[in-house]
Amino acid sequence: MAFCVAIAGTFIFAFRAGRHAHHLRWENEPIRPWMSVPFIAHTHHVPSAALFRAIGIEPQPHDRRPLRTIAREQHRPVEDLMRDLERALAVAGHTHPSLAPPGGKAP
Amino acid sequence: MREQILAAFAQYGSPVLFAVVTIASIGVPLPVSLLLIVTGSLVAQGVMPMWWAIALATAGSVIGDQVGYAIGRWGGAALVARFGGMLGGPPRIAAAEAHARRWGGPGVFLTRWLVTPLGSLINFTSGIAEYPWMRFLLWDALGEALGAAIYIVLGRVFSDRVLELDAALGDFTWTILALAAAVALGWMLWQYLRRQKPGVPDRP
Repeated sequence: MAFCVAIAGTFIFAFRAGRHAHHLRWENEPIRPWMSVPFIAHTHHVPSAALFRAIGIEPQPHDRRPLRTIAREQHRPVEDLMRDLERALAVAGHTHPSLAPPGGKAP
Repeated sequence: MREQILAAFAQYGSPVLFAVVTIASIGVPLPVSLLLIVTGSLVAQGVMPMWWAIALATAGSVIGDQVGYAIGRWGGAALVARFGGMLGGPPRIAAAEAHARRWGGPGVFLTRWLVTPLGSLINFTSGIAEYPWMRFLLWDALGEALGAAIYIVLGRVFSDRVLELDAALGDFTWTILALAAAVALGWMLWQYLRRQKPGVPDRP
């Protein structure tokens, strides 16, 4: 019984690892509250200045504050901030998966 | 917890990396693999040099591992008496000790970078089994340096896909563990079936 579970586990985890590895090539990185603006700019290949401006901050290359800290300082929910950044990314031609049309693929 | 740690790392960098890998190596479940991958991404972004990132992660991990080893070695008997039930009872602890003695250095080395979920347990059981400390330190440092280098280099290469990379590596690690369990159980099953055949003597 334990042997069968171990065999099944091997195949299930291998399948999942393969699926994630496949996504490595094709999926855009989602935005998370722990990420800084330069980090998001790097993962989406856009200039960080455009993202800083989209959330009303003067661009500074060494500003590594996470989104949750910026949102707290701006007295607004971090979800709002993330939405603004997703819009800015969409404008820059890097549509986030959550903004892609249903059934469609991000450009 | 994961979000707070990553947010602190994004803002403060090196001190958070060192503290988290040290605490995680003692046995506290923290998202170290994702942290190292994000470190690789920050290396790609020019936030910190590669050598510094690998050295810091290795140093923190080795220090944490020594704490785990020391707890096992000098607090082992008392801890087993008190918490042995939580770890599966004396027979399981005895089996883990026997495993630590049998596999020794290579066991320590492989659990630093290939089957990382077993790392903290091996630190503890190596201490209980009184595996020589200098040898433990040597295999530990080699394995941790390799593990940190693998995760940070992969994070640097896939610096724009850190979350997917973390998920892929996590599942890969569990694949290796499940495969190792399947091989071990298959071997035991084969031995058992062999003993059932007439004419095959039992091993002493």
